[in-house]
Amino acid sequence: MHTFIHDPIDVTVSFSQNKILPKLIRWNERDYKIETVNLVHTTREGNKRIFYFSVSDLTNYFKLKLDSEYLEWYLVELYTDG
Amino acid sequence: MDNRIYLHIDMNSYFASVEQQANPFLRGKPIAITGKHSDDPEQTRSVVTTASIEAKRLGVKTAMSTWQAKRICPSLILYPGDPEKYADITHRFNAIFQEFTHNVHQFSVDESFLDVTEQAKDSLGALYIAQTIRERLKEEYGAWITASIGIGPTKLMAKLAGESVKPNGLTIVYPDELLSFIDTRPLEDLCGIGPKMHQRLNELGLFTFKDIRACDPTYLQETFNSYGIWLYESAHGKDSSAILSSLEKSVFTTNSSSTYAPPKSVGHSYTLPHDTHDPLEIKRYLLALSDNVAWRLRRDGLLARRVKLTLRYSDFTYTSQQKLFQEPLADGYKIFQNAWSILKQIYCAEESVRLVGVSVSELFQGSEQQPLFLEDRKRSALTKALDTIQRRYGSSSWTRATLLHTKLKNRSSGFHFDHEQ
Repeated sequence: MHTFIHDPIDVTVSFSQNKILPKLIRWNERDYKIETVNLVHTTREGNKRIFYFSVSDLTNYFKLKLDSEYLEWYLVELYTDG
Repeated sequence: MDNRIYLHIDMNSYFASVEQQANPFLRGKPIAITGKHSDDPEQTRSVVTTASIEAKRLGVKTAMSTWQAKRICPSLILYPGDPEKYADITHRFNAIFQEFTHNVHQFSVDESFLDVTEQAKDSLGALYIAQTIRERLKEEYGAWITASIGIGPTKLMAKLAGESVKPNGLTIVYPDELLSFIDTRPLEDLCGIGPKMHQRLNELGLFTFKDIRACDPTYLQETFNSYGIWLYESAHGKDSSAILSSLEKSVFTTNSSSTYAPPKSVGHSYTLPHDTHDPLEIKRYLLALSDNVAWRLRRDGLLARRVKLTLRYSDFTYTSQQKLFQEPLADGYKIFQNAWSILKQIYCAEESVRLVGVSVSELFQGSEQQPLFLEDRKRSALTKALDTIQRRYGSSSWTRATLLHTKLKNRSSGFHFDHEQ
């Protein structure tokens, strides 16, 4: 299953080795423990910088968006294996 | 020509490998990155912009239509492209290359040339730099995004070397091995010999680089003009083009009599979500494309004198026409008005339209004159204000009311990114 959404989420992160590493996401009242941060990239919306984190647990790929101006997290893409 | 050392770095199956790095559930599977994120779940109107290594092994090729690709490979996963992601990765890997030399030429979204003559000193130094770059890419992006690297005494040879081993190759061509190496490559592998030229050369009895070297250079020049000279020199492994560092470019620009050469044209074309007869729907897309073109003109301080409209019908035939503006301009609505007047003349109403394109040319630096009429002055002031908003908040920050349901989706392409245009 592959869906594109824009749902606000809660994210627990760690700051280490000059990186932000999402560790846990809470979406639709369910917690997902992040196993790997696969890729991080940034884009611009006008002057604003947006960070995208491509992360996964054992069965799901999540693309997380961090709005650096408002410090808000969103789940923007979900891919479930199988 | 002094002995220089060039690296050619080509990211393997670039868009596909970026997605496989991002999403581990795509790894090891045949995937094809499609042109744009579409509302059509089957993505039948798109093309393959990049196929993964696994897909290529099963016969899927770049630029193939998606329905054709699925027919060849039913297990193929069609994955919509994410051009903003690829653009960021492209900028970052070119920044890595700049750590090794300032003489970097970004050839396309996934290829760059590096002149490492001073840094490497010799072939062993070049090999060390190539390996170090490979390690840096892996450290920065992960193991799934790989590159083929070619090393040679000219850019042409470095590219030919790099493309001889894919994926993840590292190939060096030494100056005294140029001819023996080039003779192992087919003609069509050389950058600058496309399928039509390859066929033409074959028709003239030229099948190998050895055949071209055996030709009289005068004959090649008479047959192909300056391209013939290039062909002859390339068959000898020669290429006089160099890479300027950004400092050298700025010095050259300051000293030359023409400090800036605007592009020849600026344009946008768009494959519609479905073929349509509906003039209102076509009109809306034409207006959206005209606004995009106008924004790019104003952003770069350009005015245009000519507009060209292109239509592609559902049977893939084309029609196009152009006209001169009454005065140079960079206003989206005026571009649209002119393009629409062309469309009314050339559109064949019996046919469905698949693609609409608008481009402007005869560009020069300047800004529109202050309008005389109040309504035009108001629109000009509004445009300036909207440009300020767009610069601050991005391209999706405003739209015309009539275009609320008409959205142009960004495409993935091998040579440029729409959102950076």
